[in-house]
Amino acid sequence: MLGALKQLDRLLRGEATRLTTLARGTIDVSATGLCGVVVVLGMLYGLCMASFAMIRTWGGELARDGMLQVVATVVKVPVLFLLTLAVTFPSLYVFNALVGSRLSVVSMLRLLVAAMAVMLAVLASFGTIVAFFSFTTTSYPFMLVLNVAVFAVSGSLGLVFLLQTLRRLTLVVEQPDVFAAAPPVPVVPAAATDGGVALGAPPLPPHLPGALEPLDGHVLGPNVRTIFRIWVVVFSLVGAQMAWVLRPFVGNPELHFTWFRARESNFFEGLARAITHLMTW
Amino acid sequence: MLHAGDILRARPWATATGNAGRVAARLVLAMVAFGLAYGAAMGTFAGVGGDRLLQVLYSAIKVPILLGVTFAVALPSFFVINTLMGVGADFGRALRALLATQAGLTIILASFAPFTLLWYASSANYQAAILFNALMFGVASVVAQRLLRRYYRPLIEANPVHRGLLRWWLFLYAFVGIQLGYVLRPFIGDPNSPTSFLRADPWGNAYEHVARLAWDVLRRGGGG
Repeated sequence: MLGALKQLDRLLRGEATRLTTLARGTIDVSATGLCGVVVVLGMLYGLCMASFAMIRTWGGELARDGMLQVVATVVKVPVLFLLTLAVTFPSLYVFNALVGSRLSVVSMLRLLVAAMAVMLAVLASFGTIVAFFSFTTTSYPFMLVLNVAVFAVSGSLGLVFLLQTLRRLTLVVEQPDVFAAAPPVPVVPAAATDGGVALGAPPLPPHLPGALEPLDGHVLGPNVRTIFRIWVVVFSLVGAQMAWVLRPFVGNPELHFTWFRARESNFFEGLARAITHLMTW
Repeated sequence: MLHAGDILRARPWATATGNAGRVAARLVLAMVAFGLAYGAAMGTFAGVGGDRLLQVLYSAIKVPILLGVTFAVALPSFFVINTLMGVGADFGRALRALLATQAGLTIILASFAPFTLLWYASSANYQAAILFNALMFGVASVVAQRLLRRYYRPLIEANPVHRGLLRWWLFLYAFVGIQLGYVLRPFIGDPNSPTSFLRADPWGNAYEHVARLAWDVLRRGGGG
Protein backbone atom coordinates (compact mmCIF):
# COMPACT_ATOMS: atom_id res chain seq x y z
CA MET A 1 0.00 0.00 0.00
CA LEU A 2 2.83 2.38 0.88
CA GLY A 3 4.45 1.68 -2.47
CA ALA A 4 1.18 2.40 -4.26
CA LEU A 5 0.82 5.68 -2.38
CA LYS A 6 4.32 6.64 -3.46
CA GLN A 7 3.29 5.95 -7.04
CA LEU A 8 0.26 8.18 -6.58
CA ASP A 9 2.54 10.89 -5.24
CA ARG A 10 4.79 10.58 -8.31
CA LEU A 11 1.74 10.84 -10.56
CA LEU A 12 0.44 13.95 -8.82
CA ARG A 13 3.83 15.62 -8.88
CA GLY A 14 4.15 14.85 -12.57
CA GLU A 15 7.32 12.80 -12.02
CA ALA A 16 5.80 9.68 -13.54
CA THR A 17 4.74 11.47 -16.73
CA ARG A 18 7.88 13.42 -17.74
CA LEU A 19 8.93 12.82 -21.31
CA THR A 20 12.20 11.25 -20.20
CA THR A 21 10.33 8.89 -17.88
CA LEU A 22 7.84 7.98 -20.58
CA ALA A 23 10.59 7.17 -23.07
CA ARG A 24 9.89 3.44 -22.77
CA GLY A 25 6.41 4.03 -24.18
CA THR A 26 4.47 3.31 -21.01
CA ILE A 27 3.83 4.89 -17.63
CA ASP A 28 6.04 3.25 -15.08
CA VAL A 29 3.34 2.52 -12.50
CA SER A 30 1.59 -0.65 -11.41
CA ALA A 31 -2.07 -0.81 -12.43
CA THR A 32 -2.99 -3.20 -9.61
CA GLY A 33 -1.30 -1.05 -6.97
CA LEU A 34 -3.08 2.05 -8.21
CA CYS A 35 -6.38 0.16 -8.34
CA GLY A 36 -5.89 -0.45 -4.63
CA VAL A 37 -5.34 3.29 -4.14
CA VAL A 38 -8.49 4.05 -6.15
CA VAL A 39 -10.54 1.70 -3.97
CA VAL A 40 -9.20 3.06 -0.68
CA LEU A 41 -9.60 6.72 -1.67
CA GLY A 42 -13.06 5.99 -3.05
CA MET A 43 -14.08 4.39 0.24
CA LEU A 44 -12.72 7.38 2.11
CA TYR A 45 -14.74 9.81 0.03
CA GLY A 46 -17.79 7.53 0.29
CA LEU A 47 -17.54 7.86 4.07
CA CYS A 48 -17.54 11.67 3.82
CA MET A 49 -20.37 11.61 1.30
CA ALA A 50 -22.70 9.39 3.34
CA SER A 51 -21.88 11.04 6.66
CA PHE A 52 -24.77 13.39 5.77
CA ALA A 53 -27.32 10.57 5.98
CA MET A 54 -25.74 9.27 9.17
CA ILE A 55 -25.60 12.63 10.96
CA ARG A 56 -29.10 13.73 9.90
CA THR A 57 -30.70 10.48 11.06
CA TRP A 58 -28.61 10.16 14.22
CA GLY A 59 -30.68 9.13 17.22
CA GLY A 60 -33.90 9.23 15.19
CA GLU A 61 -36.23 6.60 13.85
CA LEU A 62 -34.16 6.11 10.71
CA ALA A 63 -30.77 5.87 12.46
CA ARG A 64 -30.26 2.33 11.21
CA ASP A 65 -30.99 3.40 7.64
CA GLY A 66 -28.36 6.14 7.95
CA MET A 67 -25.76 3.61 9.05
CA LEU A 68 -26.63 1.29 6.20
CA GLN A 69 -26.31 4.19 3.78
CA VAL A 70 -22.72 4.71 4.98
CA VAL A 71 -21.88 1.07 4.34
CA ALA A 72 -23.53 1.20 0.91
CA THR A 73 -21.83 4.42 -0.20
CA VAL A 74 -18.40 3.31 0.99
CA VAL A 75 -18.79 0.32 -1.33
CA LYS A 76 -20.48 2.23 -4.15
CA VAL A 77 -17.97 5.02 -4.79
CA PRO A 78 -15.07 2.71 -5.80
CA VAL A 79 -17.53 0.54 -7.75
CA LEU A 80 -18.78 3.61 -9.63
CA PHE A 81 -15.29 4.41 -10.87
CA LEU A 82 -14.26 0.85 -11.66
CA LEU A 83 -17.50 0.16 -13.55
CA THR A 84 -17.19 3.36 -15.55
CA LEU A 85 -13.66 2.30 -16.45
CA ALA A 86 -14.85 -1.17 -17.44
CA VAL A 87 -17.58 0.25 -19.67
CA THR A 88 -15.40 2.78 -21.45
CA PHE A 89 -12.07 0.96 -21.69
CA PRO A 90 -12.81 -1.34 -24.65
CA SER A 91 -14.00 1.43 -26.96
CA LEU A 92 -11.10 3.70 -26.08
CA TYR A 93 -8.64 0.95 -26.87
CA VAL A 94 -10.32 0.08 -30.16
CA PHE A 95 -10.53 3.65 -31.38
CA ASN A 96 -7.00 4.37 -30.25
CA ALA A 97 -5.77 1.40 -32.28
CA LEU A 98 -7.94 2.43 -35.25
CA VAL A 99 -6.31 5.84 -35.52
CA GLY A 100 -2.91 4.18 -35.58
CA SER A 101 -1.56 4.65 -32.09
CA ARG A 102 0.77 1.84 -31.04
CA LEU A 103 0.01 1.86 -27.33
CA SER A 104 -0.38 -1.67 -25.94
CA VAL A 105 -3.39 -2.80 -23.87
CA VAL A 106 -1.27 -2.77 -20.73
CA SER A 107 0.01 0.77 -21.31
CA MET A 108 -3.52 1.90 -22.04
CA LEU A 109 -4.87 0.31 -18.87
CA ARG A 110 -2.09 1.82 -16.78
CA LEU A 111 -2.82 5.21 -18.25
CA LEU A 112 -6.53 5.00 -17.46
CA VAL A 113 -5.99 3.69 -13.95
CA ALA A 114 -3.45 6.45 -13.38
CA ALA A 115 -5.96 9.08 -14.53
CA MET A 116 -8.53 7.53 -12.24
CA ALA A 117 -6.09 7.62 -9.32
CA VAL A 118 -5.56 11.34 -9.96
CA MET A 119 -9.35 11.84 -10.01
CA LEU A 120 -9.81 9.98 -6.76
CA ALA A 121 -6.96 11.84 -5.08
CA VAL A 122 -8.60 15.17 -5.89
CA LEU A 123 -12.01 13.80 -4.92
CA ALA A 124 -10.78 12.47 -1.59
CA SER A 125 -9.03 15.75 -0.84
CA PHE A 126 -12.44 17.45 -1.10
CA GLY A 127 -13.67 14.98 1.52
CA THR A 128 -13.06 17.40 4.39
CA ILE A 129 -15.23 20.05 2.75
CA VAL A 130 -18.03 17.60 1.99
CA ALA A 131 -17.90 16.17 5.52
CA PHE A 132 -17.96 19.71 6.93
CA PHE A 133 -21.11 20.55 4.98
CA SER A 134 -22.66 17.18 5.89
CA PHE A 135 -22.18 18.10 9.50
CA THR A 136 -23.50 21.65 9.32
CA THR A 137 -26.23 21.68 6.71
CA THR A 138 -29.69 20.14 6.75
CA SER A 139 -30.47 20.58 3.07
CA TYR A 140 -30.48 17.36 1.04
CA PRO A 141 -30.63 19.04 -2.41
CA PHE A 142 -27.68 21.25 -1.45
CA MET A 143 -25.61 18.17 -0.63
CA LEU A 144 -26.55 16.62 -3.97
CA VAL A 145 -25.47 19.69 -5.93
CA LEU A 146 -22.29 20.08 -3.87
CA ASN A 147 -21.33 16.46 -4.53
CA VAL A 148 -22.00 16.81 -8.24
CA ALA A 149 -19.77 19.90 -8.32
CA VAL A 150 -16.98 18.10 -6.46
CA PHE A 151 -17.20 15.10 -8.78
CA ALA A 152 -17.19 17.42 -11.80
CA VAL A 153 -14.04 19.24 -10.67
CA SER A 154 -12.17 16.02 -9.82
CA GLY A 155 -13.33 14.31 -12.99
CA SER A 156 -12.23 17.22 -15.18
CA LEU A 157 -8.77 17.35 -13.59
CA GLY A 158 -8.38 13.59 -14.04
CA LEU A 159 -9.40 13.84 -17.69
CA VAL A 160 -7.02 16.73 -18.34
CA PHE A 161 -4.29 14.55 -16.84
CA LEU A 162 -5.34 11.71 -19.14
CA LEU A 163 -5.28 13.83 -22.30
CA GLN A 164 -1.94 15.44 -21.47
CA THR A 165 -0.28 12.14 -20.63
CA LEU A 166 -1.73 10.48 -23.69
CA ARG A 167 -0.36 13.22 -25.92
CA ARG A 168 3.06 12.78 -24.38
CA LEU A 169 2.89 8.99 -24.55
CA THR A 170 1.71 8.78 -28.14
CA LEU A 171 4.43 11.14 -29.13
CA VAL A 172 7.10 9.16 -27.33
CA VAL A 173 5.89 5.90 -28.85
CA GLU A 174 5.81 7.36 -32.32
CA GLN A 175 9.18 9.11 -32.16
CA PRO A 176 11.21 7.22 -29.58
CA ASP A 177 14.64 8.56 -30.57
CA VAL A 178 13.90 12.22 -29.99
CA PHE A 179 12.89 11.88 -26.36
CA ALA A 180 15.13 9.07 -25.28
CA ALA A 181 18.00 11.41 -26.13
CA ALA A 182 16.55 14.53 -24.51
CA PRO A 183 18.49 15.38 -21.34
CA PRO A 184 16.42 16.37 -18.30
CA VAL A 185 17.27 20.09 -18.15
CA PRO A 186 15.46 21.89 -15.35
CA VAL A 187 14.40 25.38 -16.45
CA VAL A 188 14.89 28.15 -13.90
CA PRO A 189 12.89 31.25 -14.83
CA ALA A 190 14.93 34.44 -14.38
CA ALA A 191 12.14 36.08 -12.39
CA ALA A 192 12.42 33.42 -9.69
CA THR A 193 15.78 34.61 -8.45
CA ASP A 194 14.90 38.31 -8.71
CA GLY A 195 11.69 37.93 -6.76
CA GLY A 196 13.42 35.83 -4.12
CA VAL A 197 16.28 38.27 -3.60
CA ALA A 198 13.97 41.28 -3.40
CA LEU A 199 12.37 39.87 -0.28
CA GLY A 200 15.57 38.41 1.11
CA ALA A 201 14.16 34.90 0.72
CA PRO A 202 16.15 31.97 -0.71
CA PRO A 203 15.55 31.18 -4.40
CA LEU A 204 12.67 28.89 -5.21
CA PRO A 205 13.38 25.34 -6.32
CA PRO A 206 13.79 24.87 -10.08
CA HIS A 207 10.52 24.55 -11.93
CA LEU A 208 9.78 21.18 -13.52
CA PRO A 209 6.63 20.71 -15.61
CA GLY A 210 3.57 19.60 -13.62
CA ALA A 211 1.31 16.70 -14.53
CA LEU A 212 -1.30 18.96 -16.18
CA GLU A 213 1.01 21.33 -18.02
CA PRO A 214 0.79 21.24 -21.80
CA LEU A 215 4.24 20.95 -23.35
CA ASP A 216 4.79 23.05 -26.46
CA GLY A 217 5.37 21.73 -29.94
CA HIS A 218 4.05 18.22 -29.40
CA VAL A 219 1.05 17.97 -31.64
CA LEU A 220 -0.70 14.77 -32.59
CA GLY A 221 -2.57 14.16 -35.80
CA PRO A 222 -5.93 15.93 -35.77
CA ASN A 223 -7.96 12.72 -35.94
CA VAL A 224 -6.27 11.25 -32.85
CA ARG A 225 -7.02 14.37 -30.87
CA THR A 226 -10.64 14.34 -32.04
CA ILE A 227 -11.04 10.72 -30.93
CA PHE A 228 -9.83 11.54 -27.47
CA ARG A 229 -11.93 14.64 -27.15
CA ILE A 230 -14.98 12.59 -28.05
CA TRP A 231 -13.93 9.85 -25.67
CA VAL A 232 -13.57 12.26 -22.77
CA VAL A 233 -17.16 13.40 -23.33
CA VAL A 234 -18.33 9.78 -23.51
CA PHE A 235 -16.49 8.98 -20.29
CA SER A 236 -18.13 11.89 -18.49
CA LEU A 237 -21.61 10.94 -19.70
CA VAL A 238 -21.14 7.28 -18.78
CA GLY A 239 -19.80 8.25 -15.37
CA ALA A 240 -22.73 10.58 -14.71
CA GLN A 241 -25.33 8.03 -15.76
CA MET A 242 -23.52 5.26 -13.85
CA ALA A 243 -23.77 7.40 -10.75
CA TRP A 244 -27.49 7.81 -11.42
CA VAL A 245 -27.97 4.05 -11.82
CA LEU A 246 -26.08 3.34 -8.60
CA ARG A 247 -27.92 6.04 -6.58
CA PRO A 248 -28.58 6.80 -3.73
CA PHE A 249 -25.11 7.91 -2.66
CA VAL A 250 -25.91 10.77 -0.29
CA GLY A 251 -29.12 9.22 1.04
CA ASN A 252 -32.23 11.30 1.67
CA PRO A 253 -32.52 11.36 5.48
CA GLU A 254 -36.32 11.26 5.21
CA LEU A 255 -36.48 8.02 3.23
CA HIS A 256 -35.84 4.42 4.17
CA PHE A 257 -32.58 2.89 3.01
CA THR A 258 -32.49 1.02 -0.27
CA TRP A 259 -29.46 -0.27 -2.15
CA PHE A 260 -30.84 1.00 -5.46
CA ARG A 261 -33.71 3.21 -6.51
CA ALA A 262 -36.25 2.48 -9.26
CA ARG A 263 -35.11 2.44 -12.90
CA GLU A 264 -36.39 5.82 -14.08
CA SER A 265 -35.31 9.20 -15.35
CA ASN A 266 -31.64 10.15 -15.80
CA PHE A 267 -28.75 12.02 -14.21
CA PHE A 268 -29.42 15.40 -15.81
CA GLU A 269 -33.11 15.44 -15.02
CA GLY A 270 -32.28 14.53 -11.43
CA LEU A 271 -29.67 17.28 -11.19
CA ALA A 272 -32.04 19.86 -12.69
CA ARG A 273 -34.69 18.84 -10.17
CA ALA A 274 -32.26 19.20 -7.26
CA ILE A 275 -31.17 22.66 -8.42
CA THR A 276 -34.75 23.82 -8.91
CA HIS A 277 -35.63 22.51 -5.49
CA LEU A 278 -32.68 24.34 -3.98
CA MET A 279 -33.59 27.65 -5.59
CA THR A 280 -37.33 27.65 -5.04
CA TRP A 281 -37.81 25.98 -1.68
CA MET B 1 3.58 42.56 20.28
CA LEU B 2 3.74 39.02 18.85
CA HIS B 3 5.66 40.26 15.79
CA ALA B 4 2.54 42.06 14.51
CA GLY B 5 4.62 44.72 12.80
CA ASP B 6 6.74 42.12 11.02
CA ILE B 7 3.67 40.31 9.75
CA LEU B 8 2.07 43.49 8.43
CA ARG B 9 5.27 44.56 6.70
CA ALA B 10 5.77 41.10 5.15
CA ARG B 11 9.26 40.86 6.65
CA PRO B 12 11.39 38.04 5.25
CA TRP B 13 11.19 35.85 8.35
CA ALA B 14 7.57 35.02 7.59
CA THR B 15 8.49 33.54 4.20
CA ALA B 16 12.01 32.22 4.81
CA THR B 17 12.54 28.50 4.47
CA GLY B 18 14.65 28.10 7.63
CA ASN B 19 12.93 26.82 10.83
CA ALA B 20 9.56 26.71 9.11
CA GLY B 21 7.88 25.09 12.10
CA ARG B 22 8.68 27.96 14.45
CA VAL B 23 7.54 30.55 11.95
CA ALA B 24 4.25 28.73 11.43
CA ALA B 25 3.75 28.42 15.20
CA ARG B 26 4.33 32.16 15.64
CA LEU B 27 1.87 32.98 12.89
CA VAL B 28 -0.79 30.71 14.36
CA LEU B 29 -0.19 32.21 17.80
CA ALA B 30 -0.66 35.72 16.41
CA MET B 31 -3.82 34.62 14.60
CA VAL B 32 -5.31 33.13 17.78
CA ALA B 33 -4.32 36.04 20.02
CA PHE B 34 -5.63 38.82 17.79
CA GLY B 35 -8.68 36.79 16.80
CA LEU B 36 -9.54 36.38 20.49
CA ALA B 37 -9.10 40.12 20.96
CA TYR B 38 -11.52 41.14 18.21
CA GLY B 39 -13.97 38.38 19.12
CA ALA B 40 -14.06 39.57 22.71
CA ALA B 41 -14.76 43.14 21.60
CA MET B 42 -17.46 41.84 19.27
CA GLY B 43 -19.23 39.97 22.09
CA THR B 44 -19.60 42.97 24.41
CA PHE B 45 -22.72 44.29 22.69
CA ALA B 46 -25.14 43.06 25.36
CA GLY B 47 -22.85 44.19 28.19
CA VAL B 48 -20.23 42.39 30.24
CA GLY B 49 -22.08 41.90 33.54
CA GLY B 50 -22.81 38.47 35.01
CA ASP B 51 -24.11 35.99 32.48
CA ARG B 52 -23.13 38.24 29.58
CA LEU B 53 -19.43 37.84 30.34
CA LEU B 54 -19.84 34.32 29.03
CA GLN B 55 -21.00 35.70 25.67
CA VAL B 56 -17.81 37.75 25.47
CA LEU B 57 -15.80 34.58 26.08
CA TYR B 58 -17.79 32.59 23.50
CA SER B 59 -17.42 35.26 20.85
CA ALA B 60 -13.70 35.53 21.60
CA ILE B 61 -13.20 31.78 21.08
CA LYS B 62 -15.33 31.69 17.96
CA VAL B 63 -13.22 34.02 15.81
CA PRO B 64 -10.05 31.85 15.92
CA ILE B 65 -12.25 28.75 15.52
CA LEU B 66 -13.90 30.26 12.45
CA LEU B 67 -10.58 31.10 10.79
CA GLY B 68 -8.71 27.98 11.92
CA VAL B 69 -11.38 25.42 11.00
CA THR B 70 -12.06 27.06 7.63
CA PHE B 71 -8.34 26.93 6.93
CA ALA B 72 -8.06 23.26 7.94
CA VAL B 73 -11.15 22.16 5.99
CA ALA B 74 -10.10 23.87 2.75
CA LEU B 75 -6.42 22.90 2.97
CA PRO B 76 -6.29 19.23 1.83
CA SER B 77 -7.85 19.88 -1.58
CA PHE B 78 -5.65 22.96 -2.03
CA PHE B 79 -2.59 20.82 -1.38
CA VAL B 80 -3.57 18.13 -3.88
CA ILE B 81 -4.39 20.67 -6.58
CA ASN B 82 -1.10 22.51 -6.00
CA THR B 83 0.76 19.24 -6.41
CA LEU B 84 -1.17 18.36 -9.53
CA MET B 85 -0.43 21.77 -11.07
CA GLY B 86 3.28 21.09 -10.65
CA VAL B 87 4.00 23.50 -7.78
CA GLY B 88 3.98 20.99 -4.94
CA ALA B 89 7.57 21.92 -4.13
CA ASP B 90 6.50 25.48 -3.23
CA PHE B 91 3.68 24.35 -0.98
CA GLY B 92 5.54 25.08 2.27
CA ARG B 93 6.04 28.68 1.21
CA ALA B 94 2.49 29.01 -0.09
CA LEU B 95 1.20 27.70 3.21
CA ARG B 96 3.22 30.19 5.21
CA ALA B 97 2.07 33.02 2.94
CA LEU B 98 -1.54 32.04 3.62
CA LEU B 99 -0.95 31.67 7.36
CA ALA B 100 0.77 35.05 7.48
CA THR B 101 -2.20 36.61 5.70
CA GLN B 102 -4.57 35.00 8.18
CA ALA B 103 -2.54 36.38 11.04
CA GLY B 104 -2.46 39.76 9.29
CA LEU B 105 -6.24 39.69 8.90
CA THR B 106 -6.78 39.20 12.63
CA ILE B 107 -4.27 41.96 13.43
CA ILE B 108 -6.15 44.35 11.15
CA LEU B 109 -9.45 43.27 12.71
CA ALA B 110 -8.11 43.74 16.21
CA SER B 111 -7.02 47.25 15.30
CA PHE B 112 -10.67 47.97 14.40
CA ALA B 113 -11.92 46.74 17.79
CA PRO B 114 -12.00 50.28 19.28
CA PHE B 115 -14.30 51.42 16.47
CA THR B 116 -16.63 48.54 17.22
CA LEU B 117 -16.67 49.39 20.93
CA LEU B 118 -17.41 53.02 20.15
CA TRP B 119 -20.25 51.93 17.86
CA TYR B 120 -21.70 49.72 20.60
CA ALA B 121 -21.46 52.62 23.05
CA SER B 122 -23.38 54.90 20.73
CA SER B 123 -26.16 52.61 19.48
CA ALA B 124 -28.20 49.83 21.05
CA ASN B 125 -29.64 48.65 17.71
CA TYR B 126 -28.80 44.94 17.27
CA GLN B 127 -29.27 44.88 13.48
CA ALA B 128 -27.03 47.91 13.10
CA ALA B 129 -24.38 46.21 15.25
CA ILE B 130 -24.46 43.19 12.93
CA LEU B 131 -24.05 45.41 9.90
CA PHE B 132 -21.22 47.36 11.50
CA ASN B 133 -19.32 44.15 12.27
CA ALA B 134 -19.91 42.92 8.74
CA LEU B 135 -18.45 46.20 7.52
CA MET B 136 -15.37 45.77 9.73
CA PHE B 137 -14.84 42.21 8.48
CA GLY B 138 -15.31 43.41 4.92
CA VAL B 139 -12.81 46.25 5.21
CA ALA B 140 -10.30 43.99 6.98
CA SER B 141 -10.61 41.37 4.22
CA VAL B 142 -10.02 43.96 1.51
CA VAL B 143 -6.92 45.27 3.31
CA ALA B 144 -5.69 41.71 3.92
CA GLN B 145 -5.92 41.07 0.17
CA ARG B 146 -3.12 43.57 -0.29
CA LEU B 147 -1.01 41.70 2.23
CA LEU B 148 -1.80 38.41 0.57
CA ARG B 149 -0.70 39.71 -2.79
CA ARG B 150 2.55 40.89 -1.25
CA TYR B 151 3.27 37.54 0.36
CA TYR B 152 2.36 35.66 -2.80
CA ARG B 153 4.25 37.87 -5.23
CA PRO B 154 7.53 35.90 -5.27
CA LEU B 155 5.60 32.69 -5.86
CA ILE B 156 3.58 34.18 -8.73
CA GLU B 157 6.70 35.65 -10.28
CA ALA B 158 8.37 32.24 -10.19
CA ASN B 159 5.35 30.50 -11.68
CA PRO B 160 2.16 32.27 -12.84
CA VAL B 161 0.19 29.10 -12.04
CA HIS B 162 0.15 30.37 -8.45
CA ARG B 163 -2.14 33.25 -9.44
CA GLY B 164 -4.92 30.91 -10.53
CA LEU B 165 -4.34 28.69 -7.51
CA LEU B 166 -4.63 31.67 -5.20
CA ARG B 167 -8.00 32.58 -6.72
CA TRP B 168 -9.11 28.97 -6.23
CA TRP B 169 -8.00 29.13 -2.61
CA LEU B 170 -9.96 32.33 -1.98
CA PHE B 171 -13.04 30.74 -3.51
CA LEU B 172 -12.75 27.59 -1.37
CA TYR B 173 -11.99 29.62 1.74
CA ALA B 174 -15.00 31.89 1.25
CA PHE B 175 -17.26 28.94 0.38
CA VAL B 176 -16.41 27.10 3.61
CA GLY B 177 -16.02 30.24 5.75
CA ILE B 178 -19.47 31.64 4.93
CA GLN B 179 -21.15 28.40 5.96
CA LEU B 180 -19.07 28.08 9.13
CA GLY B 181 -19.80 31.69 10.06
CA TYR B 182 -23.51 30.97 9.57
CA VAL B 183 -23.37 27.89 11.80
CA LEU B 184 -21.27 29.53 14.52
CA ARG B 185 -23.79 32.32 15.09
CA PRO B 186 -24.33 34.23 17.35
CA PHE B 187 -21.10 36.23 17.28
CA ILE B 188 -22.52 39.40 18.74
CA GLY B 189 -25.22 38.15 21.08
CA ASP B 190 -28.78 39.46 20.86
CA PRO B 191 -29.56 41.23 24.19
CA ASN B 192 -33.11 39.83 24.03
CA SER B 193 -32.09 36.17 23.92
CA PRO B 194 -30.20 34.17 26.54
CA THR B 195 -26.44 33.64 26.28
CA SER B 196 -25.53 30.52 24.33
CA PHE B 197 -22.52 29.16 22.47
CA LEU B 198 -24.53 28.17 19.39
CA ARG B 199 -28.12 28.84 18.42
CA ALA B 200 -30.70 26.36 19.71
CA ASP B 201 -30.98 24.89 16.21
CA PRO B 202 -27.65 25.81 14.64
CA TRP B 203 -27.64 23.56 11.59
CA GLY B 204 -28.73 25.05 8.34
CA ASN B 205 -27.35 26.23 5.07
CA ALA B 206 -26.13 29.74 4.47
CA TYR B 207 -26.51 29.47 0.71
CA GLU B 208 -30.00 28.04 0.81
CA HIS B 209 -30.95 30.73 3.29
CA VAL B 210 -29.71 33.48 0.96
CA ALA B 211 -31.34 31.86 -2.09
CA ARG B 212 -34.64 31.68 -0.25
CA LEU B 213 -34.43 35.33 0.80
CA ALA B 214 -33.62 36.35 -2.77
CA TRP B 215 -36.46 34.21 -4.10
CA ASP B 216 -38.91 35.75 -1.62
CA VAL B 217 -37.88 39.24 -2.68
CA LEU B 218 -38.23 38.37 -6.36
CA ARG B 219 -41.61 36.75 -5.88
CA ARG B 220 -42.91 39.62 -3.84
CA GLY B 221 -41.55 42.05 -6.40
CA GLY B 222 -43.22 40.11 -9.22
CA GLY B 223 -46.53 39.83 -7.39
CA GLY B 224 -46.60 43.59 -6.73
